[in-house]
Amino acid sequence: MKIEEIMTKKIESVEADAPVYNAIEKMVDKRLRSLLVKPKDEKDVYGVVTVRDIVFKVLGKNLNPGKTSVEVIASKPVICVNKDMEIEHVISLMNKFNIARVFIHEGKEIIGVVSLLDLMAATLIERAKGGRIA
Amino acid sequence: MLEKVFSGGKTEQKVIENIKRHIKVLCTASDCFKRALEDRDKDRVLCIPDLEREGDTIRREIISNIYEGAFLPFLRPNICRFVEIVDEAFDVLEDAANEFEFINLEVDKDLEEDCTKIADINMKMCDMLLIAFEALFRKEDLKEKNLAIRIYEKKVDEIKLDLIKKLRRREIKDFWQGKTLSDFISYLTRISDIIEDASDYLYIMNVSLR
Repeated sequence: MKIEEIMTKKIESVEADAPVYNAIEKMVDKRLRSLLVKPKDEKDVYGVVTVRDIVFKVLGKNLNPGKTSVEVIASKPVICVNKDMEIEHVISLMNKFNIARVFIHEGKEIIGVVSLLDLMAATLIERAKGGRIA
Repeated sequence: MLEKVFSGGKTEQKVIENIKRHIKVLCTASDCFKRALEDRDKDRVLCIPDLEREGDTIRREIISNIYEGAFLPFLRPNICRFVEIVDEAFDVLEDAANEFEFINLEVDKDLEEDCTKIADINMKMCDMLLIAFEALFRKEDLKEKNLAIRIYEKKVDEIKLDLIKKLRRREIKDFWQGKTLSDFISYLTRISDIIEDASDYLYIMNVSLR
């Protein structure tokens, strides 16, 4: 099964120079665990900011989320895979890099995101259908 | 035990085949509905009332066969209830199809995408229900099939929450426009709940027959 079939197409993003508070608001409102961080300029690349980053790097250190910008805590560059990649390969890749989500790209554009939970659900559904993918 | 209970006489086999046919017709109806939404083709949903009637005929035949003596008495109410739940899914799908004729999803691309996604998941759930039903006769454990259906249902629930949020932000200028859209989404999102109920019932039968 290709990763494109299970990816979430709705990606929420945040500007790199936005305060972390904006990211928190977006995550709470939309029940998300990560946001794509937009490149600052043409030379810059996409990044990702997660709940983990916010808790450990800002709140846990008593920094003010209203005065800390997203780019300070974001991870860059994001790990991206092609939309045609097979699920098994994505699982190995995530295991290798110890990451909880990968972004999916088509050309230069990021078109989706897949989390460990999505992979678990897709794998279980495939098993139930009788095909075993992991 | 399952072998003894299910591979019985001709009437039992007839019931089993008819239940499979019943679920397959539901799969066809769900597929038809999904395609209608994808292509924004309201004419496509016209097949759903026909399929619902076909489902009704199959259901009546199944119930008659059961009351003619198919299966052991302790199993009959469970099988009848399962068939009734599948039939309820037909009814709700038909209600959604009726409302679909009067709504204009094109005005909101987001709503259209979400509704199509739900219709697609509903169809996959019907397919999975058929897989689960067939697995019951292979004496397989239905736990994973039941879990797969629950995963699908959770996905529908998530989309439904988003849809409701979006709906609340919409300005409704006409009572009937608002009511039709609200009813359409209620019916569309209820189908997955019913299929989940059917799957739970199947799982209970599976466990009770061990």
